[in-house]
Amino acid sequence: MTDKHNDPRLDDESRLQEFRRVAKEVAADAPQLAKIAIEGLIRDHNKLFDGTADKAGRAGRQSGNVSELTAIATVKPGGAERLRRIFNLTGGNFDGAQRVSTLHDMRFVFFDDDTRIIFATTYDGDWDTYINDFATKIPGLMDLLFANVEGWPGIDSPEVKDYIADHQIDAAGWFVANPQVTVVDVRRMQRMETALNDFMDKMADNGGMDDASRKALAELSDAVSVPEGVDY
Amino acid sequence: MSFLGNLRKRFDSKRVTLQLDDIQGLILRARPEPYVGIHAMLHVDDAAGGRDLIARLADHVPSAKGWTDDMPAWLGVAISHAGLKALGLPDASLKSFPLAFQQGMAARAPQLRDEGENAPETWEPAYQDENCHIALSIFAQDAAELDRVKQKAMAELESASGVTLIGTHEFGADEQAKNPFGYRDSISQPTVAGAGVEPNDGDERAIAAGEFILGEDSEAGAPVAMPAPDVLGRNGSFVVLRKYESRVGAFNDFLREHGQDDAAQDSLGAKMFGRWRSGAPLTLSPDQDDEALGADPGRNNDFTYQDDAKGLICPHSAHMRRMNPRGSSLTILTDQNIHRIIRRSSTFGPKWDRDVSAAGDQGDRGLFFIFISARAYDTIEFLQQEWINRGNFLDLGEERDPIVGLHEQPGRFTIPAEPVRKRVNGITTFNRLRGGEYMFMPSISALKWIGRGGWQSES
Repeated sequence: MTDKHNDPRLDDESRLQEFRRVAKEVAADAPQLAKIAIEGLIRDHNKLFDGTADKAGRAGRQSGNVSELTAIATVKPGGAERLRRIFNLTGGNFDGAQRVSTLHDMRFVFFDDDTRIIFATTYDGDWDTYINDFATKIPGLMDLLFANVEGWPGIDSPEVKDYIADHQIDAAGWFVANPQVTVVDVRRMQRMETALNDFMDKMADNGGMDDASRKALAELSDAVSVPEGVDY
Repeated sequence: MSFLGNLRKRFDSKRVTLQLDDIQGLILRARPEPYVGIHAMLHVDDAAGGRDLIARLADHVPSAKGWTDDMPAWLGVAISHAGLKALGLPDASLKSFPLAFQQGMAARAPQLRDEGENAPETWEPAYQDENCHIALSIFAQDAAELDRVKQKAMAELESASGVTLIGTHEFGADEQAKNPFGYRDSISQPTVAGAGVEPNDGDERAIAAGEFILGEDSEAGAPVAMPAPDVLGRNGSFVVLRKYESRVGAFNDFLREHGQDDAAQDSLGAKMFGRWRSGAPLTLSPDQDDEALGADPGRNNDFTYQDDAKGLICPHSAHMRRMNPRGSSLTILTDQNIHRIIRRSSTFGPKWDRDVSAAGDQGDRGLFFIFISARAYDTIEFLQQEWINRGNFLDLGEERDPIVGLHEQPGRFTIPAEPVRKRVNGITTFNRLRGGEYMFMPSISALKWIGRGGWQSES
């Protein structure tokens, strides 16, 4: 993996050429449809929504503000069953995870006859930034989830960062639709959507608007009035 | 009453649970007012020579015993990981340090967001290539006292062999203790549990000693990572050292561009810092500076943002509110008590002058941002990533700290107001990083252990 300094974004000419060269090699024997599909992978992107190919601190990939963590570990005997009961209890809601407010998603997948687990998550920022905060704010939840995994040192252990990094595998490929947007941003945008619509309702009924207000409102309407597909 | 007088009044030896006579005095001692001092960086070429110097310097390092009493001058000693290696510490000890400290500050640039004009390749030579092995700091009440201790240290250095002095930097400020931008600084300090002093009015509760002193219990209930053996780690702490060049002229120009007169400029500056130049907090004096308030250590830190949830008085993005939210609600699950730091910054260069413009920024003004914490390496990486070079924790997206943030493209600063917030554009990097290192500040017994090569005879 390369770092930010020698891995320019997709619209960089040399990188684009390199991408085309590899795409051509890969697609050499593919039917025309596949060639078109690969070309589609490298079309110009809207810079506003660009991802990056950075590292998320010690392990994992980072794209813009968003990072991925995939870890595989051995489950203690009976651990899968205990964890399943916890997951069923929560019914897909993790109060602690919601409170953290950097977690986009988490998934727990058992395999090899319930002897191993894949833990995969998408989150904002670097993976270890808030680990000390978890250790003092939600130690119970972290230990409840991970105590069923072999070798878990405990969330308050100085070794916990090493433990996680040792079990992590970087994703080979990873796509993020909104790499610039954090969980906190999404919540704010949802609040703003509601507030903005309320505001526009009031303005729609406001007959006595001055010119500056009318102009600002017209610009606002222009920016949001045409249905737009997802441009990434 | 002076800062120290205020501390002394609140000190009670019966409350002491720490081994003050083993902890370096610099960790707990506040700067004198006024203060002068010097930082010296050393490089160890020969392990035995370096250890001999450490052994002799250890005799000049006062402990924290009586840390609220007056002392005319004191010396502190800190060592980087490269320094510990150069002093010949065994591998087992070297590898027992936390990873970030082992790697050193330059190698941690990605985690610290030290990019572009702050990147390690642009740093001063003393901080490049893990050159900085030992840092000596002397704080003194006046030039004569500084000289007295400096001469002692220099005499030890001159008779040492295999140690090179790679840089010295003198600093100082008058009794107003102002930073290069003319603002009183290092006002807010955490209260360390077990050090014998109760929190000041308005200060948060005392913070668990293990957040500052290795071997003690931290806020998580257990000690944080500590190097081995015990004699090396216990009663030590970690130090973050970052030298900044302050672009006072660029800051003045920015204020001039957005404020038509002195009063408007001072007001914008106060919104950006969170305090007026006297040190008076916006929260207690929203509309104008208040010299008496700023100079009163019993009052100038006696506030929270409880009645300012919208940031109408002190903006959420103000430097001071970012660095110590004082219980403000944040968007992300955060334990504010584990991100507190003991600040020992030192200012250098000419005093602030309103008339300086960008053309006058010659690199001669600045400050050594120095802080102490048992997890200093984690704290600075957290601060740099989350509280300084982002706005996510404040619901402000990508907005950065207006004073110490890295602004490769001109940034903006949001000032909440009614009926609608104002955004000021054109923030640049007003404090540029010139170098830095992660240092370990050993206990006095650990200094002696290193000095005599304790691992050779006692293992």
